[in-house]
Amino acid sequence: MTFKTLTGIASTLALCAGMASADSTVRFWYHFDNADNPMDALVAAFEEANPGITVEAENIPWNSYYDQLYTAVIGGNAPDAAMVKMFAQPRLVEMGALQPIDDWLASWDGADGLQDNLIELTKGPDGKQYYLPVQYVVLYLYYRPDMFEELGLSVPTTCEEFRETAKALTRDTDGDGQTDVYGFGFRGAKGGHDHWATFTLGAEGVSLTEGLTSEAGVAGTQFVADLFQQDGVFPPSAPNDGFQEIIGAFKAGKTAMTIHHIGSANGMVEALGDNVSAAPVPECGGGHWTAFGDESTAVLSSAEDPEAAWKWITFLSSEGNNTMFNEATGQLPVVKADSESWTLHPQRFVQATVDSLPFAEMLPNSSATADFVNTAWPTNMQRVLTGDIEPAEMNAKIEELFAE
Amino acid sequence: MTHVSETPKQRASLGRQVLPYAMLTPAVLVTLAIVFFPMLQTAWMSLHEYVLFRPNDFTWVGLDNFKAALNDEVFWISLKHTIVWMCTTIPAQLLLGLVTALLLNQDFPWRPVARALIIIPWALPSVVIALMWVWIYDSNYGIANEFLLRMGLIQQAIPWLADPDTALASIILTLTWQGFPFFAVMILAGLQSIPQSYYEAASIDGASAWRQFWHITLPGISGVMMTAVLLRMIWVANSFDVIFVMTGGGPGYATHTLPLYAFIKARTNLDFGYGSAIAVLFTLLLMVVVVFYLKRTGKAVS
Repeated sequence: MTFKTLTGIASTLALCAGMASADSTVRFWYHFDNADNPMDALVAAFEEANPGITVEAENIPWNSYYDQLYTAVIGGNAPDAAMVKMFAQPRLVEMGALQPIDDWLASWDGADGLQDNLIELTKGPDGKQYYLPVQYVVLYLYYRPDMFEELGLSVPTTCEEFRETAKALTRDTDGDGQTDVYGFGFRGAKGGHDHWATFTLGAEGVSLTEGLTSEAGVAGTQFVADLFQQDGVFPPSAPNDGFQEIIGAFKAGKTAMTIHHIGSANGMVEALGDNVSAAPVPECGGGHWTAFGDESTAVLSSAEDPEAAWKWITFLSSEGNNTMFNEATGQLPVVKADSESWTLHPQRFVQATVDSLPFAEMLPNSSATADFVNTAWPTNMQRVLTGDIEPAEMNAKIEELFAE
Repeated sequence: MTHVSETPKQRASLGRQVLPYAMLTPAVLVTLAIVFFPMLQTAWMSLHEYVLFRPNDFTWVGLDNFKAALNDEVFWISLKHTIVWMCTTIPAQLLLGLVTALLLNQDFPWRPVARALIIIPWALPSVVIALMWVWIYDSNYGIANEFLLRMGLIQQAIPWLADPDTALASIILTLTWQGFPFFAVMILAGLQSIPQSYYEAASIDGASAWRQFWHITLPGISGVMMTAVLLRMIWVANSFDVIFVMTGGGPGYATHTLPLYAFIKARTNLDFGYGSAIAVLFTLLLMVVVVFYLKRTGKAVS
């Protein structure tokens, strides 16, 4: 055998080996804020357990996540599987971008291990199942116990108490004539609809799809506008403040209360130690409203190997792996066994989450929800806060959007 | 023999005729593919109802999108901001660039270093500039408020980007800072092409520094300035990246410009029909401005 023949055989073998190790590839999109991203470890564990499947996981920046996902779907370059939220489901289903998972789910052992009711909650608008839950949170009120104690205040349980508390907390602490602490860190930029909804959608008969222009509905938006314009309990930058700003201001002691979820709890504790605690959001207009923050994974209909993509997403929602996943996002596991052994967050934040669960709600299962979240809410809220339009006009625009 | 000697000549002349076309073809083809084809596609989409999340729904609506745009309050708000944005940013950049170029044209130690440093704002990516200025303007920790408070010029920290009265002006200042080096470098090149002998002759005739500037420097750089203003006009009009990162068009519609509005409609709301109509309208408006500008300044320069 000549040297040439030998090299030829060796190359062919090497090529075959290469092909065998990459039978199918799953392209997965996700968004993590956490820099200590454990995705590589999860991918390595999955690939070891499933030889023949390679996972290419790509972290997409949150701010443009859905813009990129929708355009990738249209452009024919969608990932095989992706992390997805409920508000995007109606639109993705309308685009025909999702693969139903009912059959797989029926034969998957792990389904019974998921938290009760989560599968039901994440059902598609057409009754089929497309989403597999991977983590969840519930929004609650963060507050500074040290400041409350100093001023002899107690945690507000109603909107009226909230207003008085926020006013008391807004103060000039060093006597230079400047306000140093504001009562509440309001998120006026994209993603702040949950703050507004707490003050508006708790009222009886008011939801995004009905009653928003009623007296009670408008009163909620007016309440938010008054807190900013009359009482001055939000920082002046509130109309433009996003996630980074509200969390940063709370950690820096610029605000005494804000609304977010357990995902930011460890960062808060790192910055403030025992000087941060949490409680359910106040009751407004006679009822409670807080957001159930969902996150699922889905297989896209364009997936080259849907079975492989399904294997990967079930891997993330399985015992042990789900813990690892949620350690990175700081949210709560959907697997019962993982929840029982959950020690990542201090108990007071888990308790506030559990206490808020009974009245936690999701946004409507409507195609208009994405526009509400991305443009209609932030633009109109900012216009109300800056005095450009009246609260009634904002509510009318949102009602009109959902009526279309 | 003559037959043989003529053939290469003919070939050479044919070659001379064909060669320019052959060499230009790749560039023209690329331009057609990545500029003209999308332009035609945009014009075509603007005549349809085309919402990306309903991919099968591509209905011909004629000029309905254009009518809707002209009746849309946000279109007019954005147009007003675009005009303010262009009419203040470009003159400010030009003026700052001119002063910088005149200074850099003087002899002083470390001149090459100063020339290199001045280009930094122009060389930085827009996103970096935008994020940097967001921090400068921050109402809690920003250096702008800190400086003005300590100087006693303001009594309360101003939320520069969250107040509709100051948001657009703040972004205009950012863009002026980003774009003036372009004018400085272009004008500096123009200044160096003016023969020194003109100035010598003028000073012998007793012309003052101002007269020299007005009668020698300004005419000498007018051609360069015209081209630079034209280029900047098109770039500034189309640029929305800095605004998008700094405010996303907010608060409310306070910093919406037409290209940004078209982008938000198309990419965030996925309404490509309507977004395209706004883009087409804006292109037409910009073309009118550019043609008018070229006619006026062309005459002045010649």
